[in-house]
Amino acid sequence: MSNIEKELVQNRLVFYENDIEKINKVLQAFITLSEAKCAMLIDKEGHMVTNAGQEAQFDTDTISALAAGSFAATKEMAKVLGEDEFSVLFHQGKVDNIQLTLIGDRCLLAVVFDERTTIGMVRLYAKEAATRLMEIFKVVEKREPSADEKLLKDGFSNDAGNKMDDLFGEDA
Amino acid sequence: MAQINLGRKEVSCKIVYYGPGLSGKTTNLEKVYEKTPEDNKGRMTSIATEGDRTLFFDYMPLDIGTISGMHTKFQLYTVPGQTYYKSTRKLVLQGADGVIFVADSGTDKIEENAQSLADLRDNLAENGLTLEEMPFVIQYNKRDLPDVLDIAILEEKLNEGKVPHFTASAVTGEGVIPTLKGLSRIVLDNLNKTSSQRPARPKPAGAQAAPAQPAKPAPAAQRQAVQPAKTPASQRPAHLAAPAKPALAAKRNVGTPARPAAPPKGVKKPVRPAAGRPPGATARPARSARPVAVPEKKNMTWIYVSAGAAAAALVAALLL
Ligand SMILES: Nc1nc2c(ncn2[C@@H]2O[C@H](COP(=O)(O)OP(=O)(O)OP(=O)(O)O)[C@@H](O)[C@H]2O)c(=O)[nH]1
Ligand SMILES: [Mg+2]
Repeated sequence: MSNIEKELVQNRLVFYENDIEKINKVLQAFITLSEAKCAMLIDKEGHMVTNAGQEAQFDTDTISALAAGSFAATKEMAKVLGEDEFSVLFHQGKVDNIQLTLIGDRCLLAVVFDERTTIGMVRLYAKEAATRLMEIFKVVEKREPSADEKLLKDGFSNDAGNKMDDLFGEDA
Repeated sequence: MAQINLGRKEVSCKIVYYGPGLSGKTTNLEKVYEKTPEDNKGRMTSIATEGDRTLFFDYMPLDIGTISGMHTKFQLYTVPGQTYYKSTRKLVLQGADGVIFVADSGTDKIEENAQSLADLRDNLAENGLTLEEMPFVIQYNKRDLPDVLDIAILEEKLNEGKVPHFTASAVTGEGVIPTLKGLSRIVLDNLNKTSSQRPARPKPAGAQAAPAQPAKPAPAAQRQAVQPAKTPASQRPAHLAAPAKPALAAKRNVGTPARPAAPPKGVKKPVRPAAGRPPGATARPARSARPVAVPEKKNMTWIYVSAGAAAAALVAALLL
C-alpha cells in the first residue's frame, strides 16, 4: 500500500451537513433523470452515507454491508485478472436490479431499479453522478477535522454505555 | 474507520469478531441478535456453508439509539475462522474500529488460538495497522465445557498486551453482552480523537503505542485493566465503569427489564419472497447442542446468498 493510500484508509470519513446536502442534490437529480427506484451512497466499509428516491423497502444497513462486501470480494477477483478493481458491478433480478458504481477511492453508489427504466439509462446517469460526487469527495476525503474540534460531545461513550445497559437490561 | 455523519446525525462503527475456527464467533453474534430488542436491530445475515461454517462473514446492524443527538450504530461482523480463509478475513477486517477475539478455552486449543492471533496481526499489518492501536478485547469462550484451561494460563499465553478480557459461554449467552459492551466503550472513547491524536503510525515493529495526547488514558494503563466477566461494578477499572450506573441499577430493580415484543420497524417490512431464503436453503442446520426458541428463529433471516456473492466470496477466499 502506498503512503497516500494508507493515509486515505486511516483517515476517518466525516460528513458535514453541507456535504450531505450537496450529495443529496446530486442523488435526487440522478433519480429524476434515470427513473431508478432509489440510490444509496455507501462508504467502502459498508456504512451508508445518505440515500435518495423511494423510501427504502429493505434494511439499508444490511444492503450497505453486503454491497461493500461484494465489492471487496470482486476487487480481489479483479486483481487476479490483473485489473485494479472493477468500477461497476451489476446484479440482475427478476424484478429489481442493483448496480454498484465505484466513486473515487472510498465510496460506492448503489442504485436499485426495475423495469420502469433500463440498465443503459442507469449506467449513463450514474456515470454523470459519479463525476459530480467525486468532486464533492475530493474535499471530504482530504479533510481532517481540526484538533480542537469536538465532533462528539464529552461523555459520549459513557452515555452510550448507559444506553446499552438500558438496551440489554440484566445481560449488560 | 467509523463514519461520523453530521448531516444525518449518525455515527456508525464497525466491530469484528475474530478467532480460530469453531471458537464461537457466530454463536456470539446469534446471542447478541437474540438479546437485542426488535426495534434496535436489522436482519442478521450469514454467508455460510451448509455445514454452518462461516464462508465470508455474518453481519448484523445494532442500533443503540440516539446519544447526545447522534444516532449511534454498530455494524457487527464475524470472520470465517478456518485457516484456509485468511484473505477473506482480511477483507472483513478492513475498516474495523474494534476487534473482539473469541478464543476457545479448550485445553487442546491453545495452539489454534495463538495461530489465529498471529493471523490477526498479519492481516492488520497488511492493512497498515497494528493490534496495539486497535481497540481490542479478548473473550475466553466455552467456559461451560469440562476440559478448559485456567484463565491465568490463557492470559499468559494469549494476552500479551493485557487488554481487557471476558469469560463467556456463548452457547448459553453468558458473557456475550459484557464482552460487546467492553469493546464498544473503547471504540467510542477512541472516536473523538482525530487521527493526529491517535497513536502515531506507522510504528516501528514492537514499539509500544505512545499516546500523543496526555488527556487520553495511556494505552498501557488501559490495557492492564483486566475485567473478568462478573466483576462487580465497584471493582471495575475506572475507565470501564459508567458514572450513571446507580440510577440504572435502581431502574433495573423496578420489575423485570421491559422487553416488549415491539412492532417491527417500518424499514423492516417482510422482504419479498425473492429476497428470502431460496428453496432448499435452510436456516443453519440445527446443531444438537443449540437450543433455539422458535419465535426467535423467526426473526432471523439467514440468507444463503446464492450464486453471485457466494461465488465472489469463494474466489476471494481462494486467493493467496
Ligand atoms: N459448549 C459450548 N459450545 C459452544 C460455545 N460457543 C459455541 N459453541 C459451539 O461451537 C460450535 C461452533 O460455533 P460457531 O459459533 O459456529 O463457531 P465460529 O467461530 O463461528 O466458527 P467458524 O465460522 O468456522 O469460524 C457450535 O457447535 C457451537 O454451538 C460455548 O460457549 N460452549
Ligand atoms: Mg462462524
